[in-house]
Parts: sequence; C-alpha cells; structure tokens
Amino acid sequence: MIPELVIALSIGAALFGVGLYGALSQTNLVMIIMGVELVLAAALVNMVAFWRYLHPDVTAAKMFVLIVMAVMAVEMAVGFGIAIARFRSRGSVEMEEARELKG
Amino acid sequence: MSVATSLFLAFFGIAAVWFGIVVFRTHSMVRSAIALLFSQTAIGAMFLVMQAEFLGVLQIMMMATEMSVMAIFMVMFMMDPGGMGKMDMTHQKRLSLWAAGIGLVAALAVIWGAGWQGPVPEVPGADEQARMLGRELLGRSMFIFESAALMILTAMIAATMVAIAPREEENP
Amino acid sequence: MIWLALTLLAPLGAALAVFGLRRAPGVIALAGAGLGLLGAFGLFARAAGGAEVTATLPFLPDLPILLVAGPLTATLALVVATVAAMVLLYATGYMAHDPEKLRFFGTMLMFVAAMELLVLSGDWITLLAAWELIGFASYLLIGFWYSREGVPGAAMRAFLYTRTADLGLYIAAFLLIGLAGTSEISATLATAGTPALIAGLLLLFAAMGKSAQVPMQDWLMRAMAGPTPVSALLHSATLVAAGAILLIRTAPMLPDGALLAVGLVGGVTAVVAGLMALAAGDLKRLLAASTASQYGLMLVALGAGAPVAALLHLIAHAAIKSALFLGAGVFQHDRDSTDLEALAGAGRARPGIFAGFALAALALAGLPPMAAFFSKDAILAAALDSPFAVWLLPLALLGSVLTGAYMARALRVLWTGAPGKAADPAPLMSAGMGVLVALAATLGFGFKPLEAMLSAHLPEPAWIIPAMGLAVGLAGLALGWVLAPARLLGPLLRPASEGFVIAGGMQALVARPALALAAACERFEQRLLAAVMAIGRINLSIGVGARRMDKDTIDAAIFGLVDRAIALGARARRLQSGFIHREMALTFAGIALVVGVLLVTPLYL
Repeated sequence: MIPELVIALSIGAALFGVGLYGALSQTNLVMIIMGVELVLAAALVNMVAFWRYLHPDVTAAKMFVLIVMAVMAVEMAVGFGIAIARFRSRGSVEMEEARELKG
Repeated sequence: MSVATSLFLAFFGIAAVWFGIVVFRTHSMVRSAIALLFSQTAIGAMFLVMQAEFLGVLQIMMMATEMSVMAIFMVMFMMDPGGMGKMDMTHQKRLSLWAAGIGLVAALAVIWGAGWQGPVPEVPGADEQARMLGRELLGRSMFIFESAALMILTAMIAATMVAIAPREEENP
Repeated sequence: MIWLALTLLAPLGAALAVFGLRRAPGVIALAGAGLGLLGAFGLFARAAGGAEVTATLPFLPDLPILLVAGPLTATLALVVATVAAMVLLYATGYMAHDPEKLRFFGTMLMFVAAMELLVLSGDWITLLAAWELIGFASYLLIGFWYSREGVPGAAMRAFLYTRTADLGLYIAAFLLIGLAGTSEISATLATAGTPALIAGLLLLFAAMGKSAQVPMQDWLMRAMAGPTPVSALLHSATLVAAGAILLIRTAPMLPDGALLAVGLVGGVTAVVAGLMALAAGDLKRLLAASTASQYGLMLVALGAGAPVAALLHLIAHAAIKSALFLGAGVFQHDRDSTDLEALAGAGRARPGIFAGFALAALALAGLPPMAAFFSKDAILAAALDSPFAVWLLPLALLGSVLTGAYMARALRVLWTGAPGKAADPAPLMSAGMGVLVALAATLGFGFKPLEAMLSAHLPEPAWIIPAMGLAVGLAGLALGWVLAPARLLGPLLRPASEGFVIAGGMQALVARPALALAAACERFEQRLLAAVMAIGRINLSIGVGARRMDKDTIDAAIFGLVDRAIALGARARRLQSGFIHREMALTFAGIALVVGVLLVTPLYL
C-alpha cells in the first residue's frame, strides 16, 4: 500500500471519468477533442505514477510517456484539420448533424 | 517526505480534476479552453512532484501551446464562443454519466483492491535522469523515436492537406 | 405311332389350315377328316391284330400325357372318325351357301381332334382336358348362328348345364388320382370299396350331364338350335357318347351300388325321354329326345353289368342317329324348318332320302338284320340276367316300345302330306347320309368279330330275348303309326311336351343360381375396385398433404428464418447511426467487455 501511488492513480481515474463524460456528451467536435485530451492525460498520470513508485530505473517508461504526448499532439492537429474541412463544407462542426456514415 | 508529496499530489490532482470538470460545465468556450489549460498544467505539476522533471516541464510547455491553439479554434468554430446564449450543448448525458461512473468505479476498485507492495525504490537525480533518457532515446529506442518522428511528419502533412481549401476549377 | 399322329393331328392341322388360309374350307375339312379316318383305320387294324399302340408325352411332373389305342379305344376312334368324315362330307353340301363356312369347318375340325383325343386318352388329365375342349366346341357350334334369336341363350344354357355336371368328373378324377397315386386310367381302375362307389356316383353325375340323362336332358333339346351337321356329329354320335364312353371305360371299377344307380338312371331316362320324343312337335327335338333315350338304354346295359352291350349299341346308334339327323337336315333344307307340321309330306318329294331315313328308323326300332337288333337284344339279355332285372327289364322294354312309337310317328308325318315342289338334287348330302345308312344296316354283322377283338364274348341269348325285342319293336312301330301322340300319352302329353319340368327344372335349379352367383361376384368385384381406388385416393391425398405440409412447414421455416434474419439485420442497423458519440459509447462498452473478460479469464481457466 503505497499512499502516493494510490492518490496518483485515483486522480488519474477521476480524470479518465471526466474526460470520458466530456467525450461522450459534447456535441461540438472541439469539445470532444478536449475530452479525449483529458483521457490521454489521465493515462499519462498513470504511467508516470507507475514509473515513479514501482520501476524508477526503467527509462523505457518515460519513452512511453513521450510517445503518448506525441500522439496527443498529432491527434489534435489532425482533428483540427478535419474540423476545418468540415466547417468549410457544412458551416458547423456540430456532431449532431454528422450522419453521413449512417448505415 | 512522503507526506509532503502526498499532499502536493493531492492538491494538484484535485485541481486538475476540478478544472477538468469546469471545462465541460462552463458555457463559455474560451473559459473551457483556459480551464483545460489549467488542468493540464496541474498535471504537469504533478509530474514535477513525482520527480519526473523533464516530463513535467515538457507537459506544461506543450499543453500551454496546445491550449492556446485550441482557444483560437474554439472561437473559429463555435457558434456561441462567449457562452452568452447558455445553450445546452450536450447529448446522451445520462449514458455518458453512466459510462464515466462505471469507468471510474472500476478503476478505483482495481486501484484500491490491488495490494501495492512497497518499498518505493530511490529515484536518480534530475540530470542523471536526463542523461539516461538521452541515452535511451538515441540508443535502444532510436527506432521508436524515428518512427514517432515519421508519424508526426505524416500527420502534419495530412492535417495540412485536409485543411487546405479545395481549389475550384477554372472554366475554359 | 404314325396312325396315332394321323388320327389326332390330321383334323387339328386341317382346323389350323382352315383358320389360317381362309379359303376352300370344305376341301381342307374333307382332307383332314379323310386323313384322320385313315389314321383311325390304321389304329383299328393294329388293335385288331392284337397290338396296343401307346404314346407318352411329357407334361406335368409325374402326370404325363398318355395316349392308348387298344381294342376298345381304337374301335371308338374309328367310330368317331367315320361319323365325322361322313358328316363333314354332308356338311359341304349343307353349308354350301352359308357365309360363315370358315368358322363352321374350323370349329368342327377342332371338335373332331378333341374328340379323338378324348377316346384315345390314357390318363385322367388328358381326358379332362379333352372333355372341356369338346364342351367348348359344342358351345361354339350350338351358338354358330348367334345372330338369330334364342341361339346364344341356348348355347349358354347347354354349356352351363354340362359344366355343372362336369364337376362330378373333376372330383372323381382327382379322387382316383389321389388314391392310386398315378393319373393313368387303367391303373386307377383298381380302386375298390367306398372310394370306388363315390367315384362311380360322381362319374355317373358327369355322364348324366354329358349324355343328357334325366334330369339333365333339357340341354340336348336346346342344342338343336345349331346347324344340323352339328346335331348329327356332336349330339348324336360323339359328344353325348362321351358320357357313355366314360362309364364303359371305368366299368371294371364300378361296384354294385353304383351299377344300380347307373341302371336306374338309364332306365328312367329311356322312358321319360321316349315320352318326350313322342310328344315333340319338332323333328330335331324328337331325334334329340330319342338320343337321350337310347343312351339311357346303354346305361341300363352298363348297370346290368354288360359294358360290351352298351358299346355295341353305342356304335350302332352312332351310325343310325347321325343318318337320321342328316336326313332331317335335307328335309330342313327343303322346307326351311324342322317343325313336324311344316315337314308333313317332305318325304314324298325325296324318295331316296326318305328311304334311307326309313331304313335307319326301322334299324333303331330294332328290326333284324340291322345293327340295333343285335345290340338291343344284348341289352335286354343283360337286363334279364342282371341282379336288378326286376327294375331294369321293364324299363328297357318300355324304352324299346317308345322307340318304335316315335320313329313310326316321324315316318308317318314325313310321308303323309303334300310333297311340295320338286327338290334339287343334293349329291354331297346324299353321299354322306348314304354311307351312314349302309353302315347302320350292315354293322350288325361285324359285331361278332368285334366281340372277339375285345375278348369279351356276350353269351348267346335265349330265344325269348330276340322274340321280346322284336315284339316290342313291332308293337311300338304299330302304335306310333296308327295312334296320334295325344291318344297315346293321354294326361302325360302336357308334361312330356314341356320336357317334364320339375321344380322349375334346370332353369331354376342351375341356370338362375349360377347367373345370380356370377352377378354377385361382379358386384363384389366392383366393390373391390372401389376399395382399391379409394386406397389409391387416400394415398394420393396423403401425398398431396405431405407436399402441402412440406411447402407450409419447411418452406415456411426456411423463409421465416430468412425474414427473421433480415429483421435482425434491420435492428442491428440501428447501431450504425453515423453519430460519433454513439460510436464512442459503443467503443467504450466494447473495451470494458474485453477488459472484463481478460480479468476474469485467469480465475476460471
């Protein structure tokens, strides 16, 4: 029972919950991206906590964190590019109106 | 020592969570973006508390930039950036709450149920960590590093391509 | 051997030739009959020399076809062949203008072949087969002019009555074969005791049917509906002789009880048929009743224990009666009818034919030195000497009286009356009849050698016998010539003319029940057919039901499955809403599921 670890992981869990709520409940694409950012951040917190309190000598854990950060950035970039394209074609990025893939 | 870290962790953590909640409860889009910025910064502070200095600084720097960009996009795309209209911009709220709740409870159950065994090993100093990280990055994980670089490059090109306005054909 | 083949195969071959070539039936018939006669002469010669010709043909296992030409059977074969040849000669003239000559001659030849087979058969199976064949041929020939009114019915009745009597022969034959273990006739004659009595009575029953004895004399009357040559051949000399031939051949086996029955039946028939002849209004019916009566006398001889006497009378009667019938046929040609009233005086127009007719009639009455005199004396002598003389002799005497009476009546009718127009000469008919009349007159002299050949000498009768015979013959002739039948018969005239019908006669006892049985079988068969059709329909409906069930259940199941799959797909489609938030929610649910499974699995596996 490592108290710091438990606190950190709990914070991570809470962030995950909030981010998931946001990703699922928001209508705007940008807000959804923000929710996803929070989820990824929660994952980062978990990873750093595990590194720090269980395996501090494993540098590969930090590599992992770096990669996830890169992924976060990339995801935001591409997401906003899509948002621009969508905005250009439809005039809004409300996901309530995006039904084109309905099967 | 551990009590201090626990307190700091708790403080920054709660701050992060609180700001995260604010992101989705506020009606103003700009305030959303700023709240997210503060949330990410708090997370970065948590990294610093956990003696991952490099990562913490990186996080704070990156997130600051990203959130600013996001704020600009917010203003571009939102129909009510100021939030004056106070419209409810959510759907499937109950489903989302349930999903979030289940996820939270499950994770907490695992966290509090698992028996984390101490003792916590010692962490090397900051410059020692940086050195080791550099060695790792350019040594064993070079391949991963390069792949990540390629991925970022591809993503940049893709994003640009998607964002460029389609050229209209000139009529002869 | 060759004689045997000639006797049997010549008429058969001629029959096939007539039906196959379809031309010159008369010539072919005469050729066949002539060759058959030649064959019979050969057999008779061999038998007279003491040799017995036999032939065995394979048939059923242990029951081969035996043909025997011993003294008795060769004599009978010769009789049949001679009468057949003469009648066929006569028939070429009689049937000259008939359009159905082919059928007539073919069937007659077939009959001759079958009759020869009957007399020459050495085993019961062949005898039965030949018995049936002659019955069938008789049916065909009686009903020859089937388009005329009443003829098909008469043929059917005759066939039915004789067939009923044939049952006796069948049962007796199988009884004898079963007891003796073999079908050879001579071997089965060794049967004795109660089986012999039973077999004898059954054979008597069959003989009664075939030889038209009381109570079955009616069919012979009906048989007169056929052409006269048929009556001359079949119903005087050959077919009706089959009954007597049967009894003559099985005579060694018959015990006393059977012999008494035979004698009584014969005697009663002799009297009853004689009365019927006297009361007859038609010449052919008169002659038919006379035939039955004469065969009754033969049965009396058999019953008295002298089968040779019966045989002699059979031979004599064959020649005489066929000659009488041929003469009647000539008169029929003249007057186009055989009614006695229509024939009055017909004899005057044809003196030659009438002379022959009269000669034969007197021969039948028993005047010497003609054939029937000797045979009738033999019968009377046997009757006198038999243990049952008290019954048989009076009946025989009465029968002889009646013989003379009705023959005299016939002669008187033919002679008294207007002669009518001049008659055309009939050479063929006269020739055929003439030979038979000559035989009738002269056969008597051949009886002694015949007895020697058969090695069965009849004892010389005491003078009383010929005297009695002559007396009754002359008395009968006188009575018949002088008195009219109504005076003679008195109260018996009505029953006699109707054929002494008792209890409805054969019509009610045999014909109607048989036909009713046939109708009932027809109805039963219709019901069986309906049942089979119903079963078929049930099966069809089962099949239809099965097919419908197949369509409804199986097809319904399959198509139902298809519809439900489509419905399921339509419902599953709702997952694809196109909304990102829904997709994300589903993603989260899926991930939760996978994580749950991954966590739980190590606990159970």
